[in-house]
Amino acid sequence: MPVDEEPVARPEKTPGFLQRRSTRRAVVMGTAGIAAAGATAAVIGLTAEGGAASPVSGDVERTALLSTTPAAPATPRPSSTAVVTDARLRAAHLLRRAGFGGSLAEIEEFAGLSREEAVSQLVDFDQVDNSALDARITAANFQLTYTASARGQLIADMQKWWLTRMAYTARPLEERLTLIWHSLLTSQISKIGGQRASWMVWQNELFRKHAAGRFDDLVQAVAKDPAMMMYLDSVESSKEHPNENFPRELMELYTMGEGNYSEDDVRESARAFTGWRLSRPPFLSREERAKLSDAERLERQMEIISTYRPDFVFDAREHDSGEKTFLGKTGMFNGEDIIAIIMEQAATGRYVCARLWSELAYADPEPELIERFEGVWKNSGHSIREVVRAILLSDEFYSERAYRGKVRSPVELLVGLVRGTEIDLSRDVAIAGGAARTGRSNFYSGMDQVLFEPPNVAGWAGGTGWLSSSTFFARANFLDEFLFPRGRGVVTFPALAGLPADAMVSAAADRLVDGDLAAASRTAISVLVDGIRNPDERAATAVYLVAASPEFQLI
Amino acid sequence: MLSRRDFVKGGVALVSIGTTANSLLKGAVAFAAQNPALAQASSGKILVLVQLAGGNDFTNTLVPYADPAYYAARPTLGTPAETLLKLDDSAALAPQLTGLKGLWDEGRVAFVRGVGYPNQNYSHFKSMAIWEAGDPELKLDHGWLGRTLDSMESEAHDPFFGFNAGGSTPPALRSEHVPVTAVANPNDFGFRERGQAVQPTAARSSTLMKLYEEYPANSPFGVLLETTAETAVSASTSLAAVHQAYVPAVEYPDSSFASGLKLIAETIAGGLGIRVGHVTLGGFDTHTNQQEDHPALLQTLDEGLTAFYRDLAAHGRADDVVVATWTEFSRRVEENANGSTDHGSAGGMIVLGNGVQRGIYGDQPSLTNLIDRGNLLYTVDFRSVYATLIEKWLGVPSSDLMGQQWPTLPIFRAA
Repeated sequence: MPVDEEPVARPEKTPGFLQRRSTRRAVVMGTAGIAAAGATAAVIGLTAEGGAASPVSGDVERTALLSTTPAAPATPRPSSTAVVTDARLRAAHLLRRAGFGGSLAEIEEFAGLSREEAVSQLVDFDQVDNSALDARITAANFQLTYTASARGQLIADMQKWWLTRMAYTARPLEERLTLIWHSLLTSQISKIGGQRASWMVWQNELFRKHAAGRFDDLVQAVAKDPAMMMYLDSVESSKEHPNENFPRELMELYTMGEGNYSEDDVRESARAFTGWRLSRPPFLSREERAKLSDAERLERQMEIISTYRPDFVFDAREHDSGEKTFLGKTGMFNGEDIIAIIMEQAATGRYVCARLWSELAYADPEPELIERFEGVWKNSGHSIREVVRAILLSDEFYSERAYRGKVRSPVELLVGLVRGTEIDLSRDVAIAGGAARTGRSNFYSGMDQVLFEPPNVAGWAGGTGWLSSSTFFARANFLDEFLFPRGRGVVTFPALAGLPADAMVSAAADRLVDGDLAAASRTAISVLVDGIRNPDERAATAVYLVAASPEFQLI
Repeated sequence: MLSRRDFVKGGVALVSIGTTANSLLKGAVAFAAQNPALAQASSGKILVLVQLAGGNDFTNTLVPYADPAYYAARPTLGTPAETLLKLDDSAALAPQLTGLKGLWDEGRVAFVRGVGYPNQNYSHFKSMAIWEAGDPELKLDHGWLGRTLDSMESEAHDPFFGFNAGGSTPPALRSEHVPVTAVANPNDFGFRERGQAVQPTAARSSTLMKLYEEYPANSPFGVLLETTAETAVSASTSLAAVHQAYVPAVEYPDSSFASGLKLIAETIAGGLGIRVGHVTLGGFDTHTNQQEDHPALLQTLDEGLTAFYRDLAAHGRADDVVVATWTEFSRRVEENANGSTDHGSAGGMIVLGNGVQRGIYGDQPSLTNLIDRGNLLYTVDFRSVYATLIEKWLGVPSSDLMGQQWPTLPIFRAA
């Protein structure tokens, strides 16, 4: 039996003793902060009697999206009212959550801004010049279209393409939101098929285009996205045989959450989405076919399929134009009408606000907190940008419960490492698709987050689910493969390489864990790297250990 | 003040959900108060759960072939009676389940029909969560197997006590005290330095482990991070030794499902202290292509389970192990426009092992008196099956774990 039997009522009251400790911790944070590179950073670790409870688990993070109340973890949580006050810690936290982490210079810059300025710089990204990223992407020449000769590289290149965007974008929130939409409005490349891999790239561009716009526009667009239409079988839904797959997941996972609609609503809305089709790629002409051998013909047909970008087509003959009753409304609804009705539901605002909060701040948020953002949702006409702005401006976002209150995902592990230590990925380091590069097992997939291939239609559950005995080794070994690639030199860190061991460890800790590393851990790393002669190996070893440390597994 | 390591070494540590030093103390108290006779009494029986993810169509697994309503509802999907493997005059196995039929003939298989719960939920994720929690209200803490592991935890903690053959910890095994080991691939289950597999005592790896030891327990996720690292390393060390020595007695089929079962067999034969194992076979959400996909899935299931049983038997461990399948729901009785099936309700479970009392348990739900527009009304509450597995196989009282005393089924031979 569980030992902690006292049920925790929600919203929770933080016990008084915890609040006092929280305050103490905030004071510690307020006076410590990130030391300048090279200096010995103050340790922000907690005293034995102080500190906070661990936050909630990943299963709660996922079930929090469901309307029913999941079993509440029977342990007190860190306070969501005690706020981290140190400007650099706040800046580092904001950059980690709204993006994937900042360099020392970015953290310094953001620490000098007011809360509103800092948030606006991230949220109002449309005006931010991203030409350096565009140039880098062009130069990298990623293969994003299927060809028979290089099919093994395609998916790895797609992942590298996106990870490179995350690592070097000047608009970190744009990429963060794109990742959030990929995990909410899911499609899996395995169902779309390798020859249509580009469809996933186009879907990714759609997420980026609508990343911070109106949620309504995002959902209307993704409903007609080719990858989505294939993934959830919209293309097969006909008047005779309405397919329930898309409308069910649309309501259950994408917008409202389970419990806010009936099985009848599923069946009725399925009728409304009938007749949604995609244009078909052209066939080879008879003359062309005659000139080709069977193998060439197959190759050519494959090439046509893989490069063809289908358009959404409405087939009136396959559409059920009759009257439908959906969520209490009756009319000759089509698919767009159904989405519009869903968007007006209170459950949708609540669900999307809770999801954005869980992604950006912490899982299982207090309902009254989400109510505040529901107000913003309504008043802004369902603007993602305005809800995110309100989240990032809230005190709770900077609370002790939020600071290091999430387990770092594999993507955050990699991109956070690259951004924090300013690694230049233009050299050929293995950032994805390890199997293709090394012929060994794919550590990247071993960490359980393969971009473009979420585990199922519910996306990545995340939270503490990122950590298991299996992923523990996968994460450490991914860092090994990344920093010490076989057959090539180690990844270099010019800013660290010349430093004495103690200073090197401090510099790595400043860049990756806000200078917060247990004193004994610093000593242990120093002792090890002190025994390594080669300065580049020393630096890579120090970075490996800080990146594999427990502190860096949190974000 | 006691360190977290003291607790961990005592076998008491929270892993599934973060905790505080405060609740750890309570854990230690509970640990001390625990009845040590329990672990003794249950004498090393092992339960292996096989998840058929996506919703297995049990109507086409154990077919009610004598009921004309079956063929009426499934004009293309109904399996012709002459190809079925008949168990009695009303129920027959799908033609692919030849291995299970053989084990049935040997008296080692039980089928439970009509397994479900009140107010069936038709969402994969919600219904899965219900089965994993063992509670349709989702109010009981952690997973039902995790709670069971907690109640069986003994002083000498083995990292494989609860084990998933797969990369993550399945929600059903999430527990309060027992770190559950998850292994996707035994060859990748250990540290590498510059790509080479090394012992955890290697310089850099042992330094890394020191960082986990030094991480303050009361920091965020403190217990989770340290127990994950320690469990991983200790499990890796024990598995490495067993993995070298283990020779399967049968040739396992080439599927990741069978590889998972083989890994579980390895931990059993190697004496790694496993009590609850879990492995998943996915792909059962057969809205389309069921006529091709479902038989192939059943074949994968059948070949995997048969190999597993024969391997354990050859290693002299078949008496100690019971396998039970579960799935979040079965499928609608009537086939859909694609000659396949949509999400349904009451399904069935297969229970396999030498301790099993052969038989078909639970009434076949009516194929004509349906609920929720075309779905089966359950005849056996899944919590009764859970209570049976917990009490009658693992030998642990179930009422605390399941929130109340559920009636058990006579699916095991009297000891």
